[in-house]
Amino acid sequence: MKERLGVYICHCGGNISDYVDVEKVRAAIEHEEGVVFAKTTMFACSDTNQTDMVQDIHEHNLDGVIVASCSPKLHLTTFRNVTERGDLNKYTYVHANIREQASWAHSDDKLGATEKAIHLVKAAIAKSRYADPLFPNQFEAEKTIAVIGGGIAGMKAALSLAEKKSNVILIEKGNRLGGHTAEWGSLFMTDEKGFELTTRIENDLRKYNNVTILTGEEVIDTKGSIGNFELKIRRQPQKEDDPMEIMELHVGSIVVATGYDHYLPKQGEYGFGTNETVITLPEFKQLVDKSTSKSLEFKGKKINNIAYVYCVGSRQSEGENTYCSRFCCTSVIHTAIEAKKKFKGIQNIHLTRGIRTYGKQELLYAESLQMGDVYLEFDEHTLPEIHTEDKKTVVTVKDILSAGKEMEMEVDLVVLVTGMVPRADQSIGSMLKLPKGRDRFFNEIHMKLRPVETVIDGVTIAGTCQGPKNISESVNSALSAATKSFSYISKGTLETEPIIAKIDQDACSWCDKCSNACPFDAIEQIEMGGRTVASVNPIVCKGCGMCTPVCPVDAINLIGYTSEEIMSMIDALA
Amino acid sequence: MEERQIIEYDALVIGAGIAGGEAAINLANTGYKVLLVEKDHSLGGKMILLSKVFPTLDCAACITTPKVSEIARHNNITVFTESEVTHIAKKGDNDFVAQIMKKPRYVRVEDCTACQLCEKACPVSVRDEYQFGLIGRKAAFIPFSIANPKAAVIDIENCTLCGACEKACPTHCIDFTMETEYYELHAKTVILATGFNLFDPLEIPRFGYGQYKNVITSMQMEREIAPTRPYNTILRPGDGKVPDRIAYVLCTGSRDNTIGNPICSQICCMYSMKQAQLLMGALPMADITIYYINIRSFGKGFEEFYQQAKGMGVNFVKGKIGKITEKENGNLILRYEDIAEGVVKEAEHDMVVLSVGVKSNPSAGKIFDGNSLKLDPLQFVAQQDFLGSPAKTSIDGVFVAGTASGPMDIPDSILSAGSASSEAISYLTRYQSL
Repeated sequence: MKERLGVYICHCGGNISDYVDVEKVRAAIEHEEGVVFAKTTMFACSDTNQTDMVQDIHEHNLDGVIVASCSPKLHLTTFRNVTERGDLNKYTYVHANIREQASWAHSDDKLGATEKAIHLVKAAIAKSRYADPLFPNQFEAEKTIAVIGGGIAGMKAALSLAEKKSNVILIEKGNRLGGHTAEWGSLFMTDEKGFELTTRIENDLRKYNNVTILTGEEVIDTKGSIGNFELKIRRQPQKEDDPMEIMELHVGSIVVATGYDHYLPKQGEYGFGTNETVITLPEFKQLVDKSTSKSLEFKGKKINNIAYVYCVGSRQSEGENTYCSRFCCTSVIHTAIEAKKKFKGIQNIHLTRGIRTYGKQELLYAESLQMGDVYLEFDEHTLPEIHTEDKKTVVTVKDILSAGKEMEMEVDLVVLVTGMVPRADQSIGSMLKLPKGRDRFFNEIHMKLRPVETVIDGVTIAGTCQGPKNISESVNSALSAATKSFSYISKGTLETEPIIAKIDQDACSWCDKCSNACPFDAIEQIEMGGRTVASVNPIVCKGCGMCTPVCPVDAINLIGYTSEEIMSMIDALA
Repeated sequence: MEERQIIEYDALVIGAGIAGGEAAINLANTGYKVLLVEKDHSLGGKMILLSKVFPTLDCAACITTPKVSEIARHNNITVFTESEVTHIAKKGDNDFVAQIMKKPRYVRVEDCTACQLCEKACPVSVRDEYQFGLIGRKAAFIPFSIANPKAAVIDIENCTLCGACEKACPTHCIDFTMETEYYELHAKTVILATGFNLFDPLEIPRFGYGQYKNVITSMQMEREIAPTRPYNTILRPGDGKVPDRIAYVLCTGSRDNTIGNPICSQICCMYSMKQAQLLMGALPMADITIYYINIRSFGKGFEEFYQQAKGMGVNFVKGKIGKITEKENGNLILRYEDIAEGVVKEAEHDMVVLSVGVKSNPSAGKIFDGNSLKLDPLQFVAQQDFLGSPAKTSIDGVFVAGTASGPMDIPDSILSAGSASSEAISYLTRYQSL
């Protein structure tokens, strides 16, 4: 039972103190049993306060520390480490969330928010009194890393890991590496061809004998967790009567680089599928790249006037793709310039929703304006329309840039500037239980500061599976993901949290309810003294607590959240 | 010739903003020894001075301070603040020699408790650069409340050597005998994370910045709405009135050939919409108008953030500002071309925020021999293999992270820093004996 607790209540620079009366919280809890002192602080996480905390622990001979601040997702680790620097067991630290759970949730009710914060801190104090020292589990990690997806992101991730002397397995479902990039023709900013870029990366990759490249192979099952993932790989049958080959791989970390799908317009969307002069951006890029004659021809007809309709499948006001696909403005402008330079008689007419050639890509837009490309702009309420009149394609648009004037033009080709959508095949995400955002791309831990890490330890996300990106951005993301995966396991040993389920095997009589409830397959049945009982794999268990309440004989306790601790918290909350 | 102390590290990272910090942590977590050199008094660069970040509206201090704390405490990272790398020579593969000048702080950081008694005692008041001139500070001062290291600094340029701070200091940590220290660093790889400069709107006299008191920059507004804000509320600087008709002028110093910056700064649309949303929370009665050419909400969650700003009632006007004039009461008249109606109009606002853009910080180019480090035409560090290896520079073993290579937002800076540190680790591995 802890008797010397220090409590810190954070203003969070107004995030908390604008709605919660932190001084009132402090006064309400400072005489709780076991509390030696309670302080308020502007930023509990600041370096100065951290130093003060370490000093306080020593000076007041504290045996427990509580910080009431933001979500533990942000700062639980920060304050555990402070506790450790004060020579206390870091798992005795208890966190109270009075920002997301009090000040932000009840910004319309200051009194209520303060009252709730007081209760949350009291509960944390009660828990802290019972908190036992815990020790992390150490185990050996497999140092091989799997990269799933052989597009530009996956290839670069694998290459950068190979350079670091890490064993890498690059798994690609299709029959070749290079992904969409290899089919993309000339690329923005450098004019290098897509396949030239992917070929030079592939050549570099093949120089390393610590890289295994699997093409035509698909991940069909994953098991385990950081340090010890088991992947089941199926070789796609090459011929109909080829036997199904299954292979198992053991890896320590996984870089997911499964990429994106091109948005495919719906039948009839801007004439797609009904008017044969309407094509998509990838089709247009192929056409420009493959044509060798002096003029551009499509289906045997010479092309002069091209209309580009932007934001097809992106920034939808009605439809699920509310996001901007980021790469398409630059991509289509670059290709339009290329077409004009390569072929005679091209006139480009861009129907945009506001050009987004961000950063240095703006120079391409400036170049296209100088070359005489025409830019018209529409908004989400008045989309352009495509008709056929006398077998000719006519585009009409209400142009914002000329005060809403109705424009009508006859064109030879309509290019729908299609964006990126998440992969239709979401199997990897489902197998690894990767969370998705509202945009249905994979979600990172923190959008700003941790863009390649995921909530699944040991799994990182690279390239466009996390959200639309251009090639350069995908490569940066891939190298970042590779570095994080590498740093997880390069030491060969790992520590896992001690907060896991513990089974009282004397009480257990194996009914399989706990193993069914476990989302991580961490519970197995074992034979013990002639009886079948449940056993928890300490490496795989995440301490989620799903098994604890389903046990009919109450034989499972979550370490760090024992019934004693939880009951005392409930008493304090009541 | 000054005496030089010789020091050795695996990696030299120049610039301790969010990109340099991230790169340093990645290298350090992989086991390499890093020297992180910062010319300013604190870690955290520009990010630590921001209010909240888009589109999550996380408080910037809340997410920056733990990162900065991690850097400062990391066993494999040594931080030099007030320091400049004056010269780097590449002697061979994995062999760089850097000259570093560490300026005196005149305060022993390890003894300073940041009690601020020196600040109270100091009789000299000057413009506070960390509040972007909105208020003043003393010549003996703590840079800002969440600075790291959090310790006093003596601004020797403005100090009158009166000795009041020395007498007031309870720990006797002020030391006027400190001198510039010179180091010769041997490092195996170098990461440039020298960041960007904000556009100075004095270059566009027709906007009246510096002349009209109620025309401020977006960075000044960022300070006004930050948790560690100078006024503890939002005021217009001219007369202390709480503004209720605020205008944002996007593309101030971006996409503008007349001031020599043709490119887009990538961040201004988003931070302006963020500020607009925060202002609407702080001043529910205020009208906010954003004058724009194009809204570039291209990143993850950005377009949704733009729609949210529209939904909250931020007024978006497509049109370029021609000229700003001041009325007697301090209000401002904005003359602009209203694109939607195709006419030139005037509008009155009581405060104008210039959304200033990102300019290059060309300083990195000067520290390498000859012209061995290539810069692009806009003086950003040139990327030798922009698509295949964006972090590679013209010198093998020297990598670029963050806005040193061009405008980018925080997540892109983090990814770029991850990329640079990955290249650096690969480079170090290439020459590592087994």
